Amino acid sequence: MKISSASKRVLAVAAVYDRRPATPPRTFGAHRAPLQNRFVKPLLLVLLFTCGTALTGLAQNPSAWEKSVVNIEVARKSYDYYQPWNRRNDRSAKIGLVVGERQILVTAHELSDHTLVRLQKNGRGKWFNASVAWIDYHANLALLTTDDATFWSDLRPADLNGKPPGEGAKLQIVRWREGKLENRQAEFTQFTVRQSELSGISHVQMELDSEIKGAGWGEPVITDSRVIGITASQAGRSCKVIPAQFIRGILEARRAGNQRGLGYFHFYWQRAENPASLAHLKLSGEPRGVLVINVPERPDNQPQVLQPRDIILQIDGFDVDMQGDYVDPEFGSLMLENLATRGKWAGDDVKLKIWRDGKPFDVTYRLPKYEFANSLVPLGVYDQPPDYLIVGGLVFQPLTVPYLQRWGAEWERTAPFRFNYYRDNEATKTNPSLVILSQVLPDKFNIGYQEQRWFVVDKVNDRRVTNLTELNEALQKPKGEFHVIDFTPNESLQRIVLAAGETERTATARVLERFGITTAIQITPKKAAAN
Amino acid sequence: MFLKTVIVGFLLGVTQLCFALEPERSVIQILIYRQEPDWSAPWRFDAVQRAGGSGFVIKGKRIMTNAHVVSWCRQIIVRKYQDAKPYLAQVEYIAHDCDLAILTVEDESFFDDLPPLEFGEMPKVRSTVVTYGYPAGGEEISYTRGVVSRIEMSPYSHIGNRRLLSVQTDAAINPGNSGGPVVQDDRVVGVAFQGIQGLENTGFFIPPTLIQRFLKDVEDKKYDGVPLAGVNITSLQNPAYRALLKLPDNNLGARVDRIRPKTGASEVLRPDDVVLRIGEFPVASDSTILFQGNRVFCALGFQFGQSGDSVPVQIWRDGKAQDVKVKVTAAMDDQPEGNQFDVKPRYFIFGGMVFTPLSRDYLRNAGREGSDSSGAELTYELFFRSREDPSSAREEPVVLSSVLSDAVNANFSVRGRMLVDRINGIRIEKLDDVIRAFETSTNAQDVIEFGKHRSIESLDHAEATRANPNILKTYGIPKDRHL
Repeated sequence: MKISSASKRVLAVAAVYDRRPATPPRTFGAHRAPLQNRFVKPLLLVLLFTCGTALTGLAQNPSAWEKSVVNIEVARKSYDYYQPWNRRNDRSAKIGLVVGERQILVTAHELSDHTLVRLQKNGRGKWFNASVAWIDYHANLALLTTDDATFWSDLRPADLNGKPPGEGAKLQIVRWREGKLENRQAEFTQFTVRQSELSGISHVQMELDSEIKGAGWGEPVITDSRVIGITASQAGRSCKVIPAQFIRGILEARRAGNQRGLGYFHFYWQRAENPASLAHLKLSGEPRGVLVINVPERPDNQPQVLQPRDIILQIDGFDVDMQGDYVDPEFGSLMLENLATRGKWAGDDVKLKIWRDGKPFDVTYRLPKYEFANSLVPLGVYDQPPDYLIVGGLVFQPLTVPYLQRWGAEWERTAPFRFNYYRDNEATKTNPSLVILSQVLPDKFNIGYQEQRWFVVDKVNDRRVTNLTELNEALQKPKGEFHVIDFTPNESLQRIVLAAGETERTATARVLERFGITTAIQITPKKAAAN
Repeated sequence: MFLKTVIVGFLLGVTQLCFALEPERSVIQILIYRQEPDWSAPWRFDAVQRAGGSGFVIKGKRIMTNAHVVSWCRQIIVRKYQDAKPYLAQVEYIAHDCDLAILTVEDESFFDDLPPLEFGEMPKVRSTVVTYGYPAGGEEISYTRGVVSRIEMSPYSHIGNRRLLSVQTDAAINPGNSGGPVVQDDRVVGVAFQGIQGLENTGFFIPPTLIQRFLKDVEDKKYDGVPLAGVNITSLQNPAYRALLKLPDNNLGARVDRIRPKTGASEVLRPDDVVLRIGEFPVASDSTILFQGNRVFCALGFQFGQSGDSVPVQIWRDGKAQDVKVKVTAAMDDQPEGNQFDVKPRYFIFGGMVFTPLSRDYLRNAGREGSDSSGAELTYELFFRSREDPSSAREEPVVLSSVLSDAVNANFSVRGRMLVDRINGIRIEKLDDVIRAFETSTNAQDVIEFGKHRSIESLDHAEATRANPNILKTYGIPKDRHL
């Protein structure tokens, strides 16, 4: 497999100081037509019908795909993180692929917080109620099913054994469009290791170039009669596709009862292109390998086997070059991050050959499981309403990326500077997460504080607070007749004092009543082994 | 609330005055040629810019104007009305924090027929004032009349990190008005200095209290600065908080929230002290004092005197009132966080790596403040770390501002804009440490560590030492350091 080297270099440069590869800003549904445009508007339907016929190239055996590709409609709750007690109804349209006995493969994107999932075959007609049999937000994959036997009667699993295409290979993207199977041309560009759509984890992905509009919702990408991946996103003409090999590995592991989730390399490395650095580290032989620069505290309790200034020469038997790439037998040259997911799962051991103190060593690196809580500011929150706690009108929330995204498309620039800065930090035992005062709902109880917001809570009643549960516990133990809330050092305000006891309870009730909020506390218990 | 303020200064053409009355005779047109340094290449200066402003004659054959009018000047030309002759002027005193400056003129005959203007008292809100100056939009002297809209503490945009007393007026204050007098009853009651972008009919002038304080400050022939107490005082209006502090519910007293270390306040004040009175001014629960009929943020109470003065403060602590004295000083340790002027940036160059202290000027010059991870790290280091995490803060964070390409550094991935953490194992607390780390090295390679992830670059020490003179020559840099 030959890989376009020009665009790969761009990726590698960005990866030098950060273990996470560069990704374009997340779009979260920015590139899709609203549902009614795609299914409802009759005027548009006529137009699209004509266009669709004109543009549709016929696949070799179009009817085969009609039996494997289905429409999916998701009704879901969505939340406003500025007003975390509010819920809205959203609808999403996706494409699914029959992949096995009563199994439909979809991406996990916009499947979270669903209230109703429905399936439609043949691109028209009756909708069947479905359930989510399995979902993994980090892999951005899910399986749907339905008990209704009539739905499955004339459907056929697609063949997921497509081989990785060569450069410039002509592929098709398939989906239902106004009752017709649309089959659009796409050209293979490259394989890259990119951050998954919904997670911080990185794995191999395929990039396509296509004129298709509004794709990226799980449409299968096919060549000949096989599926080589499903789309995860689209930006301009460029589609990101989850390759079939990656999907197969995960589905097989699931079938074998192995659902440990995806692991990753929890350390930072840089390229080793500076010979003076290699000389300093006494590496003999040709320049090769990458430099480990920062080894943060592990999220599990496993021992650290790497230290800063180690040179990683080999991972899982593959030589690592000084750009941080290895040669993958299927995909060609790929960034080393992919070796954490290539046939490996969280908790698996990966053999590393490293260079330390002028000598080679073999070490075994146990892959930690990727969890959103491994970051000080979690990247995602799924299948639960936003947590919050209201006391006397003061609204406390955990600091999360979905909260920051409430600042709009430019949130990485426009959200409060410090909050964005904290995103770059790992969770540690002493600093696992942050609770912020997000706003004050005005009431006579909180007069004097009504303009205060966006502080990080340090202590409440002298107890350290890093999450809402701890906050709630600390509020049960006031200091005499008062709650004393300390914020981390800042320029505006470091302490708030509130009355505790009956006055506080009355005030909270009054605020809930006046602002139409049903409950003062919304805390979703931590799941023991969430995906 | 931080309003985006924008300095008005600049712009001029040749003036021909044929008719004028008192006091406009004493209003001076100032033309300057300025050159600002390039902070990312600190040995270099940007192109010369021509700018203009206004000034006025004060006692002692002096001209008063704004600091921002004459900052970074290479040449100052002053002109009086009805006189085509350009006179050369020099800065005698410059006060960047309160945006004032005093000029002398080489040829003292300049002042022969110019009566100095007298200063008046703080104008009353709603009273009428007239501004005099040479703003853009014409050649002649310009007068605008307006009322005093309000008097309060506002950000002074020239220095960028001070809030001082200022007076807002609806008299038009436009580019070129800067430094011109604001007059009431033939007396100067202010110096026009800034406006707010996007707001109409809002000009600001520097009040007589600050002008008089400045004149007194320079009586000893040097300027110290507006004194600060080093304390952050916040309002104290919540009944529960007042009850906790056993404070009567009488709408008096504001709370000490944060104290800057190593300041006068840190010696006598503690968080949760309640400030009842600063000097002669009772402090209200919304942290204001009543100053000449205006409710103004109480920090003003510390700003009337000179650096080193002690201000009597009445506080409430442990349930009773106490009297203390807070020493106020003209703090200069926060200079890198504000705009800096007239001092060439310091730097040190080794192996093509340009090291310079991190400053607000550097970040502004480098652009994209905080918009990417290395910009965010530098922004955090400059403005937040010393407050949030003082134990890890550095005295003078150093940044690798750029790498001058040469064979010796050709393999670097880093091209600049990185915080320097360590060099040859030495933690870099200030620019001097960089020099020491390179000059005392005995290793074959110099190892430089950057940023919070401690990425590294290395140089062959002998090769870099040999290459350095050639790099300086190639890029036309007179010296490897300016300290």
